[in-house]
Amino acid sequence: MSRRTIGLIVLLVGVVSIALTTFIVFNPEAPKSVRELGKYYIANTTRDVSSPEAVTAIVWDYRGLDTIYETVVLYMAIVGGLAISTTTRKVSLKTRTGLTSIARTGTRIIVLLIATIAFAIALHGHLTPGGGFPGGSALAITVMLIVPVYTLQSLLDQGVSSTRLIAVRGLALTALGLVAILPVIKGLEAVTNLKFYPSHVAGMLISGSLWLYNLFEFLAVASGFAAVALYLSIPEEVYREEIKGGE
Amino acid sequence: MIEQVLFWTGSALFIIGGVFDLLGSIGLLRFPSFYVRLHAATIGAIYGAVLPLIGISLIALGSPGIPGNYTIAGASFVTALILLVVAPMGSHVLAHAAHKSKSVSWKPFVDMLEEDEEK
Repeated sequence: MSRRTIGLIVLLVGVVSIALTTFIVFNPEAPKSVRELGKYYIANTTRDVSSPEAVTAIVWDYRGLDTIYETVVLYMAIVGGLAISTTTRKVSLKTRTGLTSIARTGTRIIVLLIATIAFAIALHGHLTPGGGFPGGSALAITVMLIVPVYTLQSLLDQGVSSTRLIAVRGLALTALGLVAILPVIKGLEAVTNLKFYPSHVAGMLISGSLWLYNLFEFLAVASGFAAVALYLSIPEEVYREEIKGGE
Repeated sequence: MIEQVLFWTGSALFIIGGVFDLLGSIGLLRFPSFYVRLHAATIGAIYGAVLPLIGISLIALGSPGIPGNYTIAGASFVTALILLVVAPMGSHVLAHAAHKSKSVSWKPFVDMLEEDEEK
Protein backbone atom coordinates (compact mmCIF):
# COMPACT_ATOMS: atom_id res chain seq x y z
CA MET A 1 0.00 0.00 0.00
CA SER A 2 1.32 3.38 -0.97
CA ARG A 3 1.55 6.29 1.47
CA ARG A 4 -1.18 8.02 -0.51
CA THR A 5 -3.62 5.15 0.04
CA ILE A 6 -2.79 4.99 3.77
CA GLY A 7 -3.30 8.75 4.04
CA LEU A 8 -6.67 8.52 2.31
CA ILE A 9 -7.81 5.68 4.61
CA VAL A 10 -6.69 7.63 7.71
CA LEU A 11 -8.55 10.70 6.42
CA LEU A 12 -11.72 8.68 5.77
CA VAL A 13 -11.65 7.01 9.19
CA GLY A 14 -10.93 10.35 10.86
CA VAL A 15 -13.81 12.19 9.14
CA VAL A 16 -16.30 9.38 9.83
CA SER A 17 -15.27 9.11 13.50
CA ILE A 18 -15.47 12.90 13.98
CA ALA A 19 -18.94 12.90 12.42
CA LEU A 20 -20.11 10.05 14.65
CA THR A 21 -18.59 11.64 17.78
CA THR A 22 -20.31 14.96 17.11
CA PHE A 23 -23.56 13.13 16.60
CA ILE A 24 -23.25 11.25 19.88
CA VAL A 25 -21.90 14.16 21.97
CA PHE A 26 -24.16 16.96 20.74
CA ASN A 27 -27.14 14.71 20.02
CA PRO A 28 -28.68 16.96 17.37
CA GLU A 29 -32.41 16.65 16.94
CA ALA A 30 -34.88 18.48 14.77
CA PRO A 31 -36.63 21.12 16.91
CA LYS A 32 -40.01 19.95 18.10
CA SER A 33 -41.58 23.38 17.92
CA VAL A 34 -41.48 26.19 15.36
CA ARG A 35 -39.65 29.34 16.50
CA GLU A 36 -41.59 32.56 17.02
CA LEU A 37 -40.18 34.14 13.85
CA GLY A 38 -41.18 31.07 11.85
CA LYS A 39 -44.69 31.21 13.32
CA TYR A 40 -44.94 34.84 12.25
CA TYR A 41 -43.96 34.01 8.67
CA ILE A 42 -46.35 31.07 8.49
CA ALA A 43 -49.23 33.13 9.80
CA ASN A 44 -48.67 36.43 7.99
CA THR A 45 -46.85 35.84 4.67
CA THR A 46 -50.07 35.56 2.69
CA ARG A 47 -51.41 38.80 4.21
CA ASP A 48 -48.19 40.86 4.10
CA VAL A 49 -46.85 39.83 0.71
CA SER A 50 -49.86 38.04 -0.82
CA SER A 51 -47.59 35.19 -1.87
CA PRO A 52 -48.07 31.58 -0.79
CA GLU A 53 -44.33 30.91 -1.19
CA ALA A 54 -42.77 32.05 2.09
CA VAL A 55 -39.15 31.62 1.00
CA THR A 56 -39.54 33.95 -1.98
CA ALA A 57 -41.49 36.36 0.21
CA ILE A 58 -38.67 36.49 2.76
CA VAL A 59 -35.96 36.78 0.13
CA TRP A 60 -37.57 39.51 -1.98
CA ASP A 61 -39.81 41.32 0.49
CA TYR A 62 -39.03 40.97 4.19
CA ARG A 63 -35.30 41.21 3.56
CA GLY A 64 -35.44 42.49 -0.02
CA LEU A 65 -32.75 45.15 0.39
CA ASP A 66 -30.28 42.46 1.44
CA THR A 67 -31.06 40.36 -1.63
CA ILE A 68 -30.63 43.31 -3.97
CA TYR A 69 -27.16 43.97 -2.57
CA GLU A 70 -26.40 40.26 -2.92
CA THR A 71 -27.32 40.45 -6.59
CA VAL A 72 -24.97 43.38 -7.00
CA VAL A 73 -22.20 41.38 -5.32
CA LEU A 74 -22.76 38.49 -7.73
CA TYR A 75 -22.70 40.90 -10.66
CA MET A 76 -19.42 42.37 -9.45
CA ALA A 77 -18.03 38.82 -9.09
CA ILE A 78 -18.91 38.02 -12.70
CA VAL A 79 -17.48 41.32 -13.93
CA GLY A 80 -14.33 40.67 -11.93
CA GLY A 81 -14.01 37.15 -13.30
CA LEU A 82 -14.34 38.43 -16.85
CA ALA A 83 -11.88 41.24 -16.17
CA ILE A 84 -9.21 38.79 -15.01
CA SER A 85 -9.44 36.73 -18.20
CA THR A 86 -8.93 39.70 -20.49
CA THR A 87 -7.96 37.90 -23.65
CA THR A 88 -9.91 39.85 -26.25
CA ARG A 89 -9.79 37.03 -28.74
CA LYS A 90 -11.40 37.52 -32.09
CA VAL A 91 -12.59 34.09 -33.14
CA SER A 92 -13.43 33.66 -36.78
CA LEU A 93 -13.33 30.00 -37.62
CA LYS A 94 -14.40 28.33 -40.80
CA THR A 95 -14.92 24.77 -39.61
CA ARG A 96 -18.14 24.02 -37.81
CA THR A 97 -18.29 20.28 -37.26
CA GLY A 98 -19.78 19.74 -33.84
CA LEU A 99 -21.34 16.38 -33.03
CA THR A 100 -23.43 13.99 -35.09
CA SER A 101 -26.99 14.67 -36.23
CA ILE A 102 -28.34 12.27 -33.59
CA ALA A 103 -26.78 14.38 -30.86
CA ARG A 104 -27.97 17.59 -32.53
CA THR A 105 -31.61 16.49 -32.77
CA GLY A 106 -31.65 15.24 -29.19
CA THR A 107 -30.04 18.45 -27.95
CA ARG A 108 -32.67 20.52 -29.75
CA ILE A 109 -35.47 18.75 -27.85
CA ILE A 110 -33.62 18.91 -24.55
CA VAL A 111 -32.72 22.60 -24.91
CA LEU A 112 -36.37 23.43 -25.57
CA LEU A 113 -37.43 21.45 -22.49
CA ILE A 114 -34.76 23.05 -20.27
CA ALA A 115 -35.74 26.54 -21.42
CA THR A 116 -39.42 25.85 -20.71
CA ILE A 117 -38.65 24.51 -17.25
CA ALA A 118 -36.32 27.44 -16.54
CA PHE A 119 -39.05 29.96 -17.41
CA ALA A 120 -41.54 28.01 -15.30
CA ILE A 121 -39.18 27.97 -12.30
CA ALA A 122 -38.55 31.70 -12.59
CA LEU A 123 -42.04 33.01 -13.36
CA HIS A 124 -43.76 30.74 -10.82
CA GLY A 125 -41.20 31.69 -8.17
CA HIS A 126 -43.81 33.45 -6.07
CA LEU A 127 -46.10 30.40 -6.10
CA THR A 128 -43.85 27.35 -5.94
CA PRO A 129 -40.27 26.71 -4.76
CA GLY A 130 -37.85 28.27 -7.21
CA GLY A 131 -37.34 31.84 -8.35
CA GLY A 132 -35.06 33.96 -10.45
CA PHE A 133 -31.73 32.50 -9.45
CA PRO A 134 -32.45 28.77 -9.96
CA GLY A 135 -34.39 29.54 -13.14
CA GLY A 136 -31.54 31.62 -14.55
CA SER A 137 -28.97 28.95 -13.70
CA ALA A 138 -31.15 26.38 -15.48
CA LEU A 139 -31.41 28.56 -18.59
CA ALA A 140 -27.65 29.13 -18.65
CA ILE A 141 -27.19 25.35 -18.87
CA THR A 142 -28.65 25.41 -22.39
CA VAL A 143 -25.62 27.44 -23.52
CA MET A 144 -23.27 24.90 -21.96
CA LEU A 145 -25.14 22.17 -23.86
CA ILE A 146 -25.17 23.97 -27.20
CA VAL A 147 -21.44 24.81 -27.17
CA PRO A 148 -20.09 21.22 -27.35
CA VAL A 149 -22.86 19.90 -29.60
CA TYR A 150 -23.28 22.75 -32.08
CA THR A 151 -19.84 24.43 -31.52
CA LEU A 152 -19.11 27.87 -30.18
CA GLN A 153 -18.96 29.39 -33.63
CA SER A 154 -22.60 28.56 -34.45
CA LEU A 155 -23.68 30.45 -31.32
CA LEU A 156 -21.52 33.44 -32.26
CA ASP A 157 -23.02 33.37 -35.77
CA GLN A 158 -26.48 33.65 -34.22
CA GLY A 159 -25.35 36.83 -32.51
CA VAL A 160 -25.00 35.34 -29.03
CA SER A 161 -21.70 36.71 -27.77
CA SER A 162 -20.50 37.30 -24.22
CA THR A 163 -20.38 41.07 -24.77
CA ARG A 164 -24.06 41.16 -25.71
CA LEU A 165 -24.97 38.84 -22.85
CA ILE A 166 -23.16 41.13 -20.42
CA ALA A 167 -25.16 44.02 -21.87
CA VAL A 168 -28.42 42.11 -21.28
CA ARG A 169 -27.26 41.38 -17.78
CA GLY A 170 -26.57 45.05 -17.14
CA LEU A 171 -30.00 46.06 -18.46
CA ALA A 172 -31.76 43.44 -16.34
CA LEU A 173 -29.87 44.57 -13.27
CA THR A 174 -30.76 48.20 -13.95
CA ALA A 175 -34.42 47.23 -14.27
CA LEU A 176 -34.16 45.33 -10.98
CA GLY A 177 -32.71 48.41 -9.30
CA LEU A 178 -35.49 50.56 -10.77
CA VAL A 179 -38.15 48.19 -9.41
CA ALA A 180 -36.54 48.62 -6.00
CA ILE A 181 -36.20 52.44 -6.21
CA LEU A 182 -39.51 53.38 -7.94
CA PRO A 183 -41.59 53.42 -4.69
CA VAL A 184 -39.38 56.30 -3.45
CA ILE A 185 -41.15 58.60 -5.95
CA LYS A 186 -44.36 58.24 -3.98
CA GLY A 187 -42.51 58.94 -0.76
CA LEU A 188 -42.36 55.30 0.33
CA GLU A 189 -39.29 53.38 1.44
CA ALA A 190 -37.10 51.69 -1.15
CA VAL A 191 -37.96 48.02 -1.76
CA THR A 192 -41.59 48.62 -0.80
CA ASN A 193 -43.83 45.89 -2.11
CA LEU A 194 -47.61 45.86 -1.83
CA LYS A 195 -48.10 49.53 -1.00
CA PHE A 196 -46.80 50.39 -4.47
CA TYR A 197 -47.15 47.36 -6.74
CA PRO A 198 -50.49 45.60 -7.36
CA SER A 199 -50.85 42.06 -6.05
CA HIS A 200 -52.95 40.91 -9.02
CA VAL A 201 -52.62 41.72 -12.72
CA ALA A 202 -55.47 40.67 -15.02
CA GLY A 203 -56.80 38.36 -12.33
CA MET A 204 -53.46 36.54 -11.92
CA LEU A 205 -51.56 36.62 -8.65
CA ILE A 206 -48.13 38.21 -9.14
CA SER A 207 -47.50 39.12 -5.48
CA GLY A 208 -46.52 42.71 -6.25
CA SER A 209 -42.84 43.25 -6.95
CA LEU A 210 -41.93 39.61 -6.30
CA TRP A 211 -42.76 38.61 -9.86
CA LEU A 212 -40.81 41.54 -11.33
CA TYR A 213 -37.78 40.84 -9.14
CA ASN A 214 -37.88 37.17 -10.14
CA LEU A 215 -38.16 38.04 -13.85
CA PHE A 216 -35.23 40.48 -13.86
CA GLU A 217 -33.10 38.32 -11.59
CA PHE A 218 -33.82 35.42 -13.95
CA LEU A 219 -32.64 37.43 -16.99
CA ALA A 220 -29.61 38.77 -15.16
CA VAL A 221 -28.46 35.41 -13.80
CA ALA A 222 -29.12 33.56 -17.08
CA SER A 223 -27.22 36.07 -19.22
CA GLY A 224 -24.41 36.44 -16.69
CA PHE A 225 -23.76 32.72 -16.34
CA ALA A 226 -24.16 32.19 -20.08
CA ALA A 227 -21.62 34.95 -20.72
CA VAL A 228 -19.12 33.29 -18.39
CA ALA A 229 -19.77 29.89 -20.00
CA LEU A 230 -19.22 31.35 -23.47
CA TYR A 231 -16.09 33.15 -22.35
CA LEU A 232 -14.58 30.02 -20.86
CA SER A 233 -15.42 27.66 -23.72
CA ILE A 234 -12.72 26.76 -26.18
CA PRO A 235 -13.29 27.05 -29.95
CA GLU A 236 -13.44 23.68 -31.65
CA GLU A 237 -10.47 24.32 -33.94
CA VAL A 238 -8.20 25.21 -31.03
CA TYR A 239 -9.40 22.12 -29.19
CA ARG A 240 -8.66 19.82 -32.12
CA GLU A 241 -5.17 21.29 -32.45
CA GLU A 242 -4.59 20.69 -28.75
CA ILE A 243 -5.61 17.04 -29.12
CA LYS A 244 -3.29 16.59 -32.11
CA GLY A 245 -0.43 18.19 -30.20
CA GLY A 246 -0.97 15.76 -27.34
CA GLU A 247 -0.53 12.63 -29.44
CA MET B 1 -61.97 -2.28 -12.54
CA ILE B 2 -59.85 0.16 -14.55
CA GLU B 3 -57.88 0.99 -11.38
CA GLN B 4 -57.06 -2.70 -10.93
CA VAL B 5 -55.89 -2.95 -14.54
CA LEU B 6 -53.72 0.16 -14.17
CA PHE B 7 -52.22 -1.13 -10.92
CA TRP B 8 -51.34 -4.55 -12.27
CA THR B 9 -50.00 -3.20 -15.58
CA GLY B 10 -47.82 -0.75 -13.65
CA SER B 11 -46.56 -3.50 -11.36
CA ALA B 12 -45.78 -5.72 -14.34
CA LEU B 13 -43.74 -2.86 -15.88
CA PHE B 14 -41.90 -2.55 -12.55
CA ILE B 15 -40.95 -6.23 -12.54
CA ILE B 16 -39.92 -6.16 -16.20
CA GLY B 17 -37.79 -3.11 -15.46
CA GLY B 18 -36.13 -4.90 -12.56
CA VAL B 19 -35.34 -7.92 -14.73
CA PHE B 20 -33.78 -5.70 -17.39
CA ASP B 21 -31.79 -3.83 -14.74
CA LEU B 22 -30.40 -7.16 -13.54
CA LEU B 23 -29.59 -8.26 -17.11
CA GLY B 24 -27.98 -4.89 -17.83
CA SER B 25 -25.76 -5.04 -14.76
CA ILE B 26 -24.72 -8.63 -15.52
CA GLY B 27 -23.89 -7.51 -19.05
CA LEU B 28 -21.94 -4.54 -17.76
CA LEU B 29 -19.77 -6.93 -15.76
CA ARG B 30 -19.43 -9.78 -18.23
CA PHE B 31 -19.37 -8.28 -21.74
CA PRO B 32 -15.92 -8.19 -23.36
CA SER B 33 -15.44 -4.67 -24.77
CA PHE B 34 -16.37 -1.05 -24.13
CA TYR B 35 -18.99 -0.81 -26.87
CA VAL B 36 -20.95 -3.91 -25.86
CA ARG B 37 -20.82 -2.81 -22.24
CA LEU B 38 -22.21 0.55 -23.29
CA HIS B 39 -25.07 -1.36 -24.89
CA ALA B 40 -25.72 -3.17 -21.59
CA ALA B 41 -25.63 0.11 -19.66
CA THR B 42 -28.16 1.68 -22.02
CA ILE B 43 -30.45 -1.33 -21.57
CA GLY B 44 -30.37 -0.51 -17.86
CA ALA B 45 -31.25 3.11 -18.63
CA ILE B 46 -34.05 2.50 -21.12
CA TYR B 47 -35.80 -0.70 -20.02
CA GLY B 48 -34.66 -0.43 -16.44
CA ALA B 49 -35.68 3.20 -15.86
CA VAL B 50 -38.19 4.26 -18.51
CA LEU B 51 -40.47 1.24 -18.08
CA PRO B 52 -40.68 1.50 -14.25
CA LEU B 53 -41.32 5.26 -14.55
CA ILE B 54 -44.25 4.59 -16.88
CA GLY B 55 -45.33 1.95 -14.38
CA ILE B 56 -45.27 4.55 -11.59
CA SER B 57 -47.38 6.91 -13.65
CA LEU B 58 -49.93 4.14 -14.37
CA ILE B 59 -50.14 3.17 -10.69
CA ALA B 60 -50.52 6.82 -9.69
CA LEU B 61 -53.26 7.30 -12.27
CA GLY B 62 -55.10 4.30 -10.83
CA SER B 63 -54.93 5.41 -7.18
CA PRO B 64 -57.10 8.48 -6.55
CA GLY B 65 -56.56 8.01 -2.80
CA ILE B 66 -52.99 9.33 -2.96
CA PRO B 67 -52.86 13.15 -2.72
CA GLY B 68 -51.47 14.74 -5.87
CA ASN B 69 -51.57 11.50 -7.83
CA TYR B 70 -52.03 13.25 -11.18
CA THR B 71 -48.91 15.33 -10.49
CA ILE B 72 -46.94 12.16 -9.77
CA ALA B 73 -48.32 10.49 -12.90
CA GLY B 74 -47.54 13.44 -15.17
CA ALA B 75 -44.10 14.11 -13.71
CA SER B 76 -42.95 10.51 -13.99
CA PHE B 77 -44.33 10.19 -17.52
CA VAL B 78 -42.48 13.34 -18.63
CA THR B 79 -39.32 12.09 -16.91
CA ALA B 80 -39.68 8.80 -18.78
CA LEU B 81 -39.99 10.67 -22.10
CA ILE B 82 -36.93 12.81 -21.36
CA LEU B 83 -34.91 9.72 -20.42
CA LEU B 84 -36.07 8.05 -23.62
CA VAL B 85 -34.51 10.93 -25.57
CA VAL B 86 -31.43 11.51 -23.44
CA ALA B 87 -30.14 8.01 -22.65
CA PRO B 88 -29.61 6.79 -26.24
CA MET B 89 -28.14 10.18 -27.13
CA GLY B 90 -25.69 9.93 -24.25
CA SER B 91 -24.45 6.48 -25.16
CA HIS B 92 -24.28 7.46 -28.84
CA VAL B 93 -22.10 10.47 -27.99
CA LEU B 94 -19.92 8.30 -25.71
CA ALA B 95 -19.43 5.68 -28.42
CA HIS B 96 -18.76 8.38 -31.02
CA ALA B 97 -16.16 10.07 -28.83
CA ALA B 98 -14.50 6.76 -27.92
CA HIS B 99 -14.31 5.76 -31.58
CA LYS B 100 -12.99 9.10 -32.81
CA SER B 101 -10.39 9.51 -30.08
CA LYS B 102 -9.32 5.84 -30.44
CA SER B 103 -9.13 5.55 -26.66
CA VAL B 104 -10.63 2.04 -26.49
CA SER B 105 -9.55 -1.09 -28.33
CA TRP B 106 -11.44 -1.62 -31.57
CA LYS B 107 -11.33 -5.10 -33.11
CA PRO B 108 -14.50 -5.49 -35.15
CA PHE B 109 -15.39 -8.50 -37.27
CA VAL B 110 -17.18 -6.26 -39.78
CA ASP B 111 -16.45 -2.51 -39.91
CA MET B 112 -19.29 -1.01 -41.91
CA LEU B 113 -18.55 2.47 -40.55
CA GLU B 114 -15.12 2.43 -42.13
CA GLU B 115 -16.57 1.16 -45.43
CA ASP B 116 -19.07 4.01 -45.33
CA GLU B 117 -16.46 6.61 -44.53
CA GLU B 118 -14.23 5.43 -47.38
CA LYS B 119 -16.97 6.08 -49.93
